[in-house]
Amino acid sequence: MKISRRNFLKGSATTLFLAGFNFPVLANTDKKKNLVVIMLRGGMDGLCAVPIIGDKNFEKKRKDLILDETIKLNSDFALHPKLKNFHNLWQNNLGAIVHATNIPYTKRSHFDGQNLMETGGHTPYSIKTGWLGRGMKLAELKGDGLALALPMPLLLRGIPSNDNFYPSKKRLPRTELLQLLKSVYTDKSEHDLANMMEIIANRSMMNNGGTSMSRKNSSLAYKAGLELKKINGPRVAVFEVDGFDTHAAQGGVNGSHSDSLIEMDSIFKNLEKGLGSEIENTLVLTLTEFGRTIKQNGGRGTEHGYGSAIFMAGGLLKKSQVYTDWPGLKRKELFEGRDLNSTIDARSVYASAMSTVFDIDFKRIQKEVFWGDKLQNLSEKLFKS
Amino acid sequence: MKNFYRKVAFGLGPDEKVPSDPLIWATNQLNDIPEFSWKGKILPEKKLRTYYREWVYGDRKVLRKKYKNDKDAYKREKNKLRHATGQKFWWNLELCIRYSEALKSTSPVLAKLWYFWGNHFAISEKDFLAQYTTGAYQREIIRANMNQNFEKMAQEATIGWSMIHHLDNEQNIGPKSQEAQWAREKGKTKGVNENHARELLELHTVSPDCGYTQEDVIQMAYIMSGWRPKWGKKRLETGDVHFNPDAHEPGTKTVLGKKYKRGRKSLSVAITDLVNHPSCRKFIAMKLCRYLITDNPTEEMMQPIIKAWEKSDGFLPEVHKAAIEVAFNYSDKYNKFQNPENWLLQMSKMADVDLIPSPSFMDLYQLGNKPIKDQRSLERLMDELGQHPYLAKQPNGWSDISEDWMSPELLIRRLVYAREAYYKKSGKSQTTEFYEEMIEKNYDNSGEILKIIDQHRELVHKHVILFNLPETLKS
Repeated sequence: MKISRRNFLKGSATTLFLAGFNFPVLANTDKKKNLVVIMLRGGMDGLCAVPIIGDKNFEKKRKDLILDETIKLNSDFALHPKLKNFHNLWQNNLGAIVHATNIPYTKRSHFDGQNLMETGGHTPYSIKTGWLGRGMKLAELKGDGLALALPMPLLLRGIPSNDNFYPSKKRLPRTELLQLLKSVYTDKSEHDLANMMEIIANRSMMNNGGTSMSRKNSSLAYKAGLELKKINGPRVAVFEVDGFDTHAAQGGVNGSHSDSLIEMDSIFKNLEKGLGSEIENTLVLTLTEFGRTIKQNGGRGTEHGYGSAIFMAGGLLKKSQVYTDWPGLKRKELFEGRDLNSTIDARSVYASAMSTVFDIDFKRIQKEVFWGDKLQNLSEKLFKS
Repeated sequence: MKNFYRKVAFGLGPDEKVPSDPLIWATNQLNDIPEFSWKGKILPEKKLRTYYREWVYGDRKVLRKKYKNDKDAYKREKNKLRHATGQKFWWNLELCIRYSEALKSTSPVLAKLWYFWGNHFAISEKDFLAQYTTGAYQREIIRANMNQNFEKMAQEATIGWSMIHHLDNEQNIGPKSQEAQWAREKGKTKGVNENHARELLELHTVSPDCGYTQEDVIQMAYIMSGWRPKWGKKRLETGDVHFNPDAHEPGTKTVLGKKYKRGRKSLSVAITDLVNHPSCRKFIAMKLCRYLITDNPTEEMMQPIIKAWEKSDGFLPEVHKAAIEVAFNYSDKYNKFQNPENWLLQMSKMADVDLIPSPSFMDLYQLGNKPIKDQRSLERLMDELGQHPYLAKQPNGWSDISEDWMSPELLIRRLVYAREAYYKKSGKSQTTEFYEEMIEKNYDNSGEILKIIDQHRELVHKHVILFNLPETLKS
């Protein structure tokens, strides 16, 4: 292992401090830019997806889970061998990784953790809106959100009129009926219902020649890519991938953690396919509630941990790189002696991404979306302006 | 006030009289656990678990090896095994049993609370549990204990096979136990798995509000170590749950400041302490109010339920009566957005929708065959509506927060399945008079509602509008 503790991300915080004295010069706003967030539920194992190379502590602690034939990314990190599509993006400077990062939540409960990864807050269940929804509100992106799921994720709440797409197998009732319901909702001040009915009455994605559509993430990603590509289409999309909670039989290359990673990988591929050249104006980020313990447990699985990794894709990235302030895996370097530490608040990445894609000053996002929490502006480091 | 019938049950059906005293009507349903209204076959959990065992063993130990070089043959044989073990049938049968309690029984209030408890002690989507055993767990451990103290339900759910397996407690081995020692001698490591212990604290009893720490979770996991299915080469993980002292962590444990000696009894003693913790009753009272009344229950709503709990030592019929009375008192002030399952059952009951396949039709099923389409109608419908009760995504079950059920797609489902349901009604209920009577019986503002639906001529459209009005979506 050649890596040493790096501090380049701290350096960028200084840059931010200086930049804060000036009024920000924002990028041109004439092109439509898209932000896609893929929620990885259950606790994505950053060390399985992006393992460190040649670390004896790592190899010793999870000897049954070490992957064969990983894809080498640089001298320090490799990529899970099944992430072929992400690797393609990486090779074209369209893929990057932030490692040893997480939201500032250390208690290891899925429900609390998933609540916080979506709200961006500190106390579970205390915030009723998502950081992405609040960011969109700041950017006045009403009606620009699209969730590829049946229930509306908390992440997108905070701005009304978001859409979701998860195709029904039956046809909608006639328009007059929808209009009547909409006017009843409006008369009765049921604004949420009225907003939803408006979206339903106007939706274009329903029309699919009467054939029922697949609801696989891969197929939804293609559809979402096509929608995001439209100049009047949504500007934000949210996906969910389940199944990362591999307490048992996490396995190696063909184990259960791999299955979920492959599903994530299929989203990258099909988004790109749907977006076409608009991948250039898109940023895709992953989000999870926590990483997993370094040590494998009794069932060849891993427990809930802390630090994980963020996958990033799209043309708004500066270049292919693993960004990290690597904390090390020796016992004293671990969080509570057991987990990969988080040296970068993941919210810094998300705040910077929103600043870049929504063309909003980072400081405003920091203040109005994340309550002025101490976050680093990584926009210049990670993203093209 | 009429929304009370929909709030605590599923409204009044065409054959039901309007009760002279709604509160007595509701609370009278809570003392006893009647026989199931379903008149077809009902299989015990133990039997269903043997089918699960045949599936797991057959796939994992036989087919995967036998057909390791022939992917297509493997797929074919695996499908045969699915049908030989009833994989696509049992959970449909369980939904018939479940929904008969809402639609055909004389205790729909009890049914609505059964669904609450089943979701509180949820078995979420894992392996093929939903297809084989979750429904039976819901019957034998949850419903069967609804006339007992909460403690008994918590004790039985915790060491129920479904819960132990679902939350990985079979992987929970004390790091200083005999078994961990043996593993070390072979160069392997075995240790604690916190999952079940954490959910016992967080979801099932005291909730994070009580302020437990990570150390409390680990100590609780030590107490639970050794509780697991009796392992066997043929039965694999499907054996009955027992306490195996070889996997149990030695020494005294401390959870929330209380000490527990090593051994089999420590888990049940710890559960007794957890259910008697003030945070537990407060948490349950909050959840009951949230389920029945509003997303954000007030202290005033919770207090009578907490009091009833304290007075009766958590005797569920008393806790339930208190919750129903609170719901009654607040029924004019608060409307609760109904989850898809409760919405569907409301519509089916009030509009006389023939939702459930008949017992004789379901009993035609023969093991080894693929069930016919109409025998699988409920499974598919619940999936489409976005809430198959036995496929919650996480161990915290399905959400009771309105916003979680608000999205264009979920509303689309209610539009299209309201229409589908209309065509499952008998001819005698497809008349204007039927609807007028039903609306009069179930809604306070029947005049206003009739005026709205009369804007459309066809009855099916009236039906779709009625069941998507705010008055119906929120009860």
